[in-house]
Amino acid sequence: MKNELIMNRLKFAQDYTQLLDREGYQLIDMNMAEPFQIDDKRHHSSTIIFEKNEQLFSIRSDWTRSLLNYNENYYLSHRFFGYFGPVVRNYKTFYQAGVELYGPTEAEVLKSIDMHLSFIEERNGREFRSIVVNDDKLLDLYIEKYELDAGVRRLVYEKNLSELRKKLGGEHPLYILMTAKVSDQIHLVNEEFGKTDIMQFLNHLNGYLEKYNMKFILDLSFRSPQSYYNGFYFQVFLNHDYPLLSGGEYNSSAFGIAVNLSNGGLL
Amino acid sequence: MITVALTKGRLFKDFIKYMEENNLNDYIGALTGETRSLYTVVDNVKFIFAKGPDVPTYVESGVADIGIVGSDIITEDEFNILNVSQLPFGDCHFSVAALPGQESFNTIATKYTNVAFEHFKNKKKDVSLVHLNGSVELAPLLGLSDAIVDIVQTGGTLQDNGLIEYEKIMEIHARLIANKRTFYTKEDEIYEFLQEIGVV
Repeated sequence: MKNELIMNRLKFAQDYTQLLDREGYQLIDMNMAEPFQIDDKRHHSSTIIFEKNEQLFSIRSDWTRSLLNYNENYYLSHRFFGYFGPVVRNYKTFYQAGVELYGPTEAEVLKSIDMHLSFIEERNGREFRSIVVNDDKLLDLYIEKYELDAGVRRLVYEKNLSELRKKLGGEHPLYILMTAKVSDQIHLVNEEFGKTDIMQFLNHLNGYLEKYNMKFILDLSFRSPQSYYNGFYFQVFLNHDYPLLSGGEYNSSAFGIAVNLSNGGLL
Repeated sequence: MITVALTKGRLFKDFIKYMEENNLNDYIGALTGETRSLYTVVDNVKFIFAKGPDVPTYVESGVADIGIVGSDIITEDEFNILNVSQLPFGDCHFSVAALPGQESFNTIATKYTNVAFEHFKNKKKDVSLVHLNGSVELAPLLGLSDAIVDIVQTGGTLQDNGLIEYEKIMEIHARLIANKRTFYTKEDEIYEFLQEIGVV
């Protein structure tokens, strides 16, 4: 590994944790060997499990899951946490950095996203290209309104336009929405569900991030690879390749943001 | 610029025919030129030529933004891609075939073990699968299997080897697939290409 990459990682860790400290986040560090939980294995099949003294343990594979488990077992005096550290998946170590907010208000979520964007913009000195957002509950609104069967869900998730056309017809509002350019979807969803809490939040976010001058894209097919996200989810792109930031709502009342430290990410 | 992954096999000829029918002449000229190069560029589109099973791998990784691939390949293996649209060519189907008079299927030879496994599981039939990389018609002739699961287009290869179709498993079509990230970051170019070839 190049010296520069190692030094960049350590410099990032210092700058990022200092930022979180200034903004009132509780920094945490935890043991990499954790009590084994079957849910962790379900969320990350690559989690490594081992036995010691007739007890099963796993090696941390995801900071969000580790914090969630800790939060469910112990009383926490803070609501906002920040972390930087290694995780292991499939015998490979890599680093994660991010924050978790438990029970945040809308303003607190917006402020945290803004804090991350301005931190990255300052470090990189380049403009963001786009932010892609979705909320899984938006598709539920379409399914309910048009009394669609659950099979539509899979077709929307894989953006299967030809099968959607066969199933719904070319004039159906959901088919028209899915064939529109992704940056036009927000206008169509606003026409139907603009007054719902979900769209009000997304519209607030869109307005709040105007200063970054990036494309705001809503797409009902856009989902997190992590199955625990169950509401609002987003990714921010600096170029075409990999997202720099990703995050969203999980467990109904928690919100997390992760910074990409690999695959051409911030380092 | 967007990158479109194509395969030089059977689907390629069908794709060229489809473009001729739709007057996409700029693309046809570049794609049918006599060259051994594995890519060609037409205006804002770079076409790369890959092995069929590798097309979704290029698209999944983001090396290619769009791919044109048979649904057999993305049915047999899972890929983290957008499975955007069926295309009006490349039609064929998966079938179970065997010698005439074969009464039961206990051992199946196939290149498509996942498709075969799902098919016989759904029929609650316990079978042994033998993976072969090609020329699977040989297996029942030489006694390696009772039957085969393979792609059937005209049925000519089966007929030439004395095999007949017993069960049709599923239809196969050409499909347009897309990368999950660049669908957003290159939406203008991708949408223009989808419009040109009649997907939206």
